[in-house]
Amino acid sequence: MTGKVIIIGGGVAGLQAAATLRELGLTPVIVEKTTHIGGKLNDWHKLFPSLTPAAEVLAELKGRLDGAEILTGTEAVEIAPGSVTLTDGRRMEADAVIVASGFEVFPAELKEEYGYGLYRNVYTTVDIERMFNEGRVRLRDGSAPRRIAFLHCVGSRDEKVDQCHCSRVCCITGVKQAMEMKALFPEAEVYNFYMDIRMFGPGYEEMYREAQERCNIHFIRGRISEAGETQDRRVQIKAEDTLIGRPLKMTVDMLVLIVGMKAGRSNEALARCPGISLRPSRFADPADSFCGNVCSGAPGIFYAGTVTAPKNVGESINEGAAAAVKAAEYIRSKG
Amino acid sequence: MAIDRSINWGYSISRPRAVDMDANDHEAAARLLRKLPELQACIACGCCVATCTAGNLTDFNFRRVHTLVRRGEYKGAYDELNKCMLCGKCRLVCPRGINTRAVVMAVKRILGEY
Amino acid sequence: MDILQGEIFRYYDHFVIPFNIGVWVLLAVIVYKYVRWFSRLAPADKSAVGRGLLSRRVFGAMGEVVSESLLHRRIFRVDPLLGYMHMSLALGWFLLIAVGWVEASIHLTEGFAPLHAHVFYKYFAPAPTGATAEKVISNLMDLLLLFVLSGVALAWFKRLRSRALGMKRTTKHVLGDKIALSALWLIFPVRLLAESAQAGLKGIPSFLTGNLGGWMVSAFGEGFVAGFSVVAWWVYSIVLGVFFVSMPFSRYMHIFTEIPLIFLRRFGLRSGEQSSAFDHFQIESCSRCGVCIDPCQLQADAGIDNVQSVYFLRDRRYHNLSGEVASNCLMCGRCEVRCPVGIELNTLRLNSREKFSALPADDRYAYMAGSDRSSGSGRVGYFAGCMTLLTPKILRSMERIFDAAGEQVWWADREGGVCCGRPLKLSGEIEAARRLMDHNSQLFSNHRITTLVTSCPICLKVFREDYDLGSVEVLHHSEYILRLIRQGRLELGRQDAVYTYHDPCELGRGSGIYEQPRDVIRCAGRLVEASENRSDARCCGASLANLEIGEAAQQRIAASLSAHYKATGADTLVTSCPLCKKTIVRSFGDVRDISEVVAGALV
Repeated sequence: MTGKVIIIGGGVAGLQAAATLRELGLTPVIVEKTTHIGGKLNDWHKLFPSLTPAAEVLAELKGRLDGAEILTGTEAVEIAPGSVTLTDGRRMEADAVIVASGFEVFPAELKEEYGYGLYRNVYTTVDIERMFNEGRVRLRDGSAPRRIAFLHCVGSRDEKVDQCHCSRVCCITGVKQAMEMKALFPEAEVYNFYMDIRMFGPGYEEMYREAQERCNIHFIRGRISEAGETQDRRVQIKAEDTLIGRPLKMTVDMLVLIVGMKAGRSNEALARCPGISLRPSRFADPADSFCGNVCSGAPGIFYAGTVTAPKNVGESINEGAAAAVKAAEYIRSKG
Repeated sequence: MAIDRSINWGYSISRPRAVDMDANDHEAAARLLRKLPELQACIACGCCVATCTAGNLTDFNFRRVHTLVRRGEYKGAYDELNKCMLCGKCRLVCPRGINTRAVVMAVKRILGEY
Repeated sequence: MDILQGEIFRYYDHFVIPFNIGVWVLLAVIVYKYVRWFSRLAPADKSAVGRGLLSRRVFGAMGEVVSESLLHRRIFRVDPLLGYMHMSLALGWFLLIAVGWVEASIHLTEGFAPLHAHVFYKYFAPAPTGATAEKVISNLMDLLLLFVLSGVALAWFKRLRSRALGMKRTTKHVLGDKIALSALWLIFPVRLLAESAQAGLKGIPSFLTGNLGGWMVSAFGEGFVAGFSVVAWWVYSIVLGVFFVSMPFSRYMHIFTEIPLIFLRRFGLRSGEQSSAFDHFQIESCSRCGVCIDPCQLQADAGIDNVQSVYFLRDRRYHNLSGEVASNCLMCGRCEVRCPVGIELNTLRLNSREKFSALPADDRYAYMAGSDRSSGSGRVGYFAGCMTLLTPKILRSMERIFDAAGEQVWWADREGGVCCGRPLKLSGEIEAARRLMDHNSQLFSNHRITTLVTSCPICLKVFREDYDLGSVEVLHHSEYILRLIRQGRLELGRQDAVYTYHDPCELGRGSGIYEQPRDVIRCAGRLVEASENRSDARCCGASLANLEIGEAAQQRIAASLSAHYKATGADTLVTSCPLCKKTIVRSFGDVRDISEVVAGALV
């Protein structure tokens, strides 16, 4: 027994899975489709709710890899119990497979009415993280925003774009970015338009409250129906303030779309493996929701992270460890 | 249908402000929801109101009207819904996939007598 | 007494009674219906009929009666075998009656021959003389009977394997239709047996009944065949009687309705937005052939099987039309273009909705008075339409196109306006729709535009058909853009992109605009066609005409449509309706309005 485990995806869940497998004396091989490991964490600036720099978390995860083999720039096109076929047609044998292929960011262009990619000053939360990382947050014309609106649930809980699920982390992301923007531009007015605020994690509710009380961020209960662009390239938004029961119009310098999580395209290839099934949301369906969270319906194939559902970074890391332990158990039981 | 038991004293007392779920007649609301069960899925996001062509020109709030109807508050709903132009924008933005135009027509049909 | 009996009962036997009852009931009901319908026609329609009857259009109508009621030319276009089936039954039976009449008139020379003597000619026929003419005519009658029997055989076969006759699904018939249908199917086989037995007994030579009869007599003996023939004639008369009585109450009323319909249509009568007496002619002309079922996407993709035009017309005819059936139609018009009778299915559906709609209050829409949120000024007005406000890429592209062409534009509703009124009209709220139309007409006239451009086919249709805009020219943006290109006011660079085009229902079948968008696309790239296009194009599923189906059904229709377009291999699906665009984008991916394609290709 070589104890070889192929990990599909080099994001946080995949890295933690590799680290745990090394600790257990097995041989993990990470298959990463991009040129470098770390996944979406490479694009994030600071993580909620503690505002820990994403780079710190990533550095720690990389530090635990203990020489695990990493293949970048290649993707698994076919997954079967005991083997994985890569883009170049190479077939790799393994004793177990951990699928940690993650999610995709919802493409905001699909909500044409918000004008992403069309109006100059409509951004997504991903753009904002990038700007934070670049150290320069500015409008397209280089000026500082004085009025910023965040819109929750873009690509979440929206039947119109076949995204009926809740992406969970966007609520807190919106609050976090609103606070960061307020810190960067103390004079700016910041508004969050929401349908429901779901603060599920430890410290989240506290952060929400801090945003309201300390940062004076306005929360308006209403989903923006559409946006327009004014002559001076500002963004005009329409919503209903549902707590008042009247339509509301507002012109802002910056509209930030808090984009949700979409199931990875690679899930469709995964679903061709016998025993694997996807949920209606196209996220993978684990063996069960309690004791089999990281197990699939196929022998020797395990899940970690957002391949099965939207999760935050901490949860994904935990699942990486859990999947590694399950994989090790499986290999041992086979003898 | 609720029978009006009030006595005409020649002057009126303002209607109680609370929605009285005990006194309200829920029959028509139940009929509406049997026809369009998805209406219960409304999460009151307000998109329909924000985009509303009629609501842009006058005080008309589709979300409020259908919510009142679902609570058994039928008075005035028919006339309010007659402000709707049935243009269908609300259906296009509804994140819950509610057939809003059908709701307008169904409420009007069911409440025609109120 | 003997003389009387000899004269009146010369051609009589008790078995003719059921037939006679059937014929006279049929005649009475038809006369009643005709009188009722004609007398209730609107005065203008009546005078149109009067003028028409004295015009040359009568000859055109007669020609159409032959080609449609007898030959069923339009059904041949659906499927040749299906066309043959209908033709053999209609033309075959008609010729049997006509030639039979001639045959009977030649041979039944002794005294008065009533109707049944012609119909049951073989029974009353004199002993054969062996003359050539007699042989020719009896063989001809056999040939015609065989012709009809081939149709009956195909009808039976169609029940088992409808696909062989070009139909995936056939009509689910009500009990009355089933009785009439069973009687009809029995008529000709029973006639064959009765006539053969009689021909065998009398020794009338002919290739079908003569030979079959001869064989019967030789195989079973004369006595048996004589008894059998009595039974056969009775059964034949009974099935004829049953069929005739059921005719005016069943689908077969179409035989007597389509003929006046053809004349009235040629005289210019049409159904309108309000129901009228003329509607009866269209409704009862439906033969329930079921050709409308297969093109219906509600049937094919959403599994809804009780709302198709055939069922709608049936329910409306028998006065049990429900609001659900009236409203559950995309009004895409795919069935209308295929209807072999040419019934105005969309108009009839529309005018049936009015009775389910609410009465408008007098002050309804009073809030619109004086509202004007338009901007800019110019002789060309642009009406985006409600849906376009949710597709800002179309608005932005139109802006760029107007700029590039140097057009001064008056923007009617960019900041919100009043709906065009078509959605209300489609929901049967005709009076309410009129108020919106009046408001917009006033708006257009206030701003003195000479051309009105819209990018919404729903608005386009109502502007063209229901608005009275005087000399204002109404254009869909695809027509307008094509004009700009041809005038040299827009310069497009051709790109490598491969496009396919989706015809929106209201633009294509609804307004007859098929080629202009295609010509525009060809200026920007390569166009590949889907197999179902132009008048055969499918609906996106989100039609405002349908008030019943939910999101899931809409998306099933759209997904099936997307798969159809993906089969073309095109990268981009182009359409020219904001509602189609929004609906199809979910399952197709790269869907663009024609204005986006043009704005993207501007040099």
